[in-house]
Amino acid sequence: MLGTHNFVHVEEFVWEIPPTYRPDMRVPARLYADEELLNLALSDNSITQLVNTATLPGIIQHAIAMPDIHQGYGFPIGGVVATRLPHGVISPGGVGYDINCGVRLLVSQATVEEIQPFLKEIASALYSNCPSGVGARGSLRLTDTELEEVLHEGACWMLGQGYGEPEDLNHTEEFGRVPGAEAAHVSEHARERGRGQLGTLGAGNHFIEVDRVAEVWDQAIAARLKIYRDNVAVQIHCGSRGLGHQICEDYVSRFQKSVHDYGITLPDRELVCVPLDSEEGLEYLGAMACAANFAFANRQRLAHMIRQSFEQVLTGRIKDFHLHQVYDIAHNMAKIEEHEIDGHPLRLCVHRKGATRAFGPGSAVLPDDLRDIGQPVLIPGSMGTASYVLLGTTAAMRQTFGSTCHGAGRVMSRVKAKKAVRGSELLEQLKSRGIVVCAGSMSGLAEEAPTAYKDVSRVVEVVHQVGIAKKIARLEPVAVIKG
Amino acid sequence: MTLWPEVEGVSGAEEVEHTADRAFRIRGRNLRQLLERAAQVLVVLEGEPLARECFVQRVIEVEGTDRETLLVNWLNEILYLEQTHQEIYHHCLLQDVTDHHLRAQLYGRPADHNIASAKAVTFHNLEVKESSEGLEATVVVDV
Repeated sequence: MLGTHNFVHVEEFVWEIPPTYRPDMRVPARLYADEELLNLALSDNSITQLVNTATLPGIIQHAIAMPDIHQGYGFPIGGVVATRLPHGVISPGGVGYDINCGVRLLVSQATVEEIQPFLKEIASALYSNCPSGVGARGSLRLTDTELEEVLHEGACWMLGQGYGEPEDLNHTEEFGRVPGAEAAHVSEHARERGRGQLGTLGAGNHFIEVDRVAEVWDQAIAARLKIYRDNVAVQIHCGSRGLGHQICEDYVSRFQKSVHDYGITLPDRELVCVPLDSEEGLEYLGAMACAANFAFANRQRLAHMIRQSFEQVLTGRIKDFHLHQVYDIAHNMAKIEEHEIDGHPLRLCVHRKGATRAFGPGSAVLPDDLRDIGQPVLIPGSMGTASYVLLGTTAAMRQTFGSTCHGAGRVMSRVKAKKAVRGSELLEQLKSRGIVVCAGSMSGLAEEAPTAYKDVSRVVEVVHQVGIAKKIARLEPVAVIKG
Repeated sequence: MTLWPEVEGVSGAEEVEHTADRAFRIRGRNLRQLLERAAQVLVVLEGEPLARECFVQRVIEVEGTDRETLLVNWLNEILYLEQTHQEIYHHCLLQDVTDHHLRAQLYGRPADHNIASAKAVTFHNLEVKESSEGLEATVVVDV
């Protein structure tokens, strides 16, 4: 059984299991954590899952896990694995079922005090205008042609339909459109599941949250991002809905046979993979890009409906409440990226499963107005707790393939969480703190209780101290909308 | 409308701890019963009782390269039908079950609310193995 004795304490907040631990490991397994988070990680199967990812063919340097690590299925949540092109593998389980689950942050010039008298109306409007729940249907009715356009064009398609502002795309990862999308590799099942779901929130830990900017550590950088203390911010956390789930299912199932054809043996069937330059690998990459684009379009549409909700409630009541986009990030994705390894540029397939891209200053892929400061990183906390805005760093590029954590990370199963707290009690606790809550399910609310998660502040402090992201601002919730 | 005998809970299925998702250990005398009980677990996940009255019937065929793939594809096909048709399937009649193929009739009714069902059934640590009672499998469901 794995324990702290299996780890080498490389440096503060960095722990490694050497490849001698198990004969099938190709590289060390590296965890970023303080001692408390390390012990929490050892309380479920997440470290075993991290070790399993160290067996993937073509993996380079380390199998990495962030301090919000917890047990997933195949990869641990919080996992980062880079494989070397062209023959290194791509693993759909290393992206996850919710392809391009991610976060978008909008901010306003209005203060929370200004909107406070209208907060319940705003929450009601958001709950009414932004459909939520796993099987929720949106108001857009897409033809086959339009759906294919969304899969290829992502958020750009939404902008073309009049939803959003050009600046939104400039401040979205991949500018809202992952290249290489091939709708021909997306099944009919996936299209049918996704067709009616564009512009919907989903359920589980997905949410829309109205926040107060509670603390700012770097005022100059925050001002560049239009983030000011006590102002209003809005987060959207959701992904590719049923379309992404089906694409992952399709390829995980298909690769069950393929993995044997390529002579790959794995410790867990959910890690199935194929060489990236294989026919199956390229088809998955094309389909994954479609799902990613669907998710960008989804968040673009939701952002539009959020802006409409604010207009609906605040027009004529508050002077300047417009919501500007700070950034939109993905935390379930595989990307083809170039990284410097041992002094040489190498093309890699970087899998981030519950981990966020955190490119540092100077990265060519960042928009012109942000390139000198680095990529904004958005870390949502568990319900009722803080969320964070950070920036990517040069250290992240060196240590973690430009990656950092994605959230708080669960410590308690959903079943235990529902036994520990009733949804109605949690609702009253949040209300007593002045947080307005609109939730479709009390059971779902209980599953997302803050006690079911790690302390996000602790997680963020680790990545800040180790240098793989830099704290800029902290947000606190004033209204939560959930499925 | 089709009437079924009342079923109290799901026999031969128990939930096991999983930090982020839901996991179930399912047992059956044979593959057919294992698959039936696995389908019933999905109904439980949705917070639905196993109802007697069913108004909807669908016929499906599923293939798999082995028993594990068959099990996952079976459950994921049910999820697909539920989410695209907005229906819940409380009962199933499995026919022609082999290690690689099944044909089944699903019986259920329209959902009167947004279905709180799973995103997908995974292959994580999945093995359909022999046990003293027949067959056993532990399935992790991404919710």
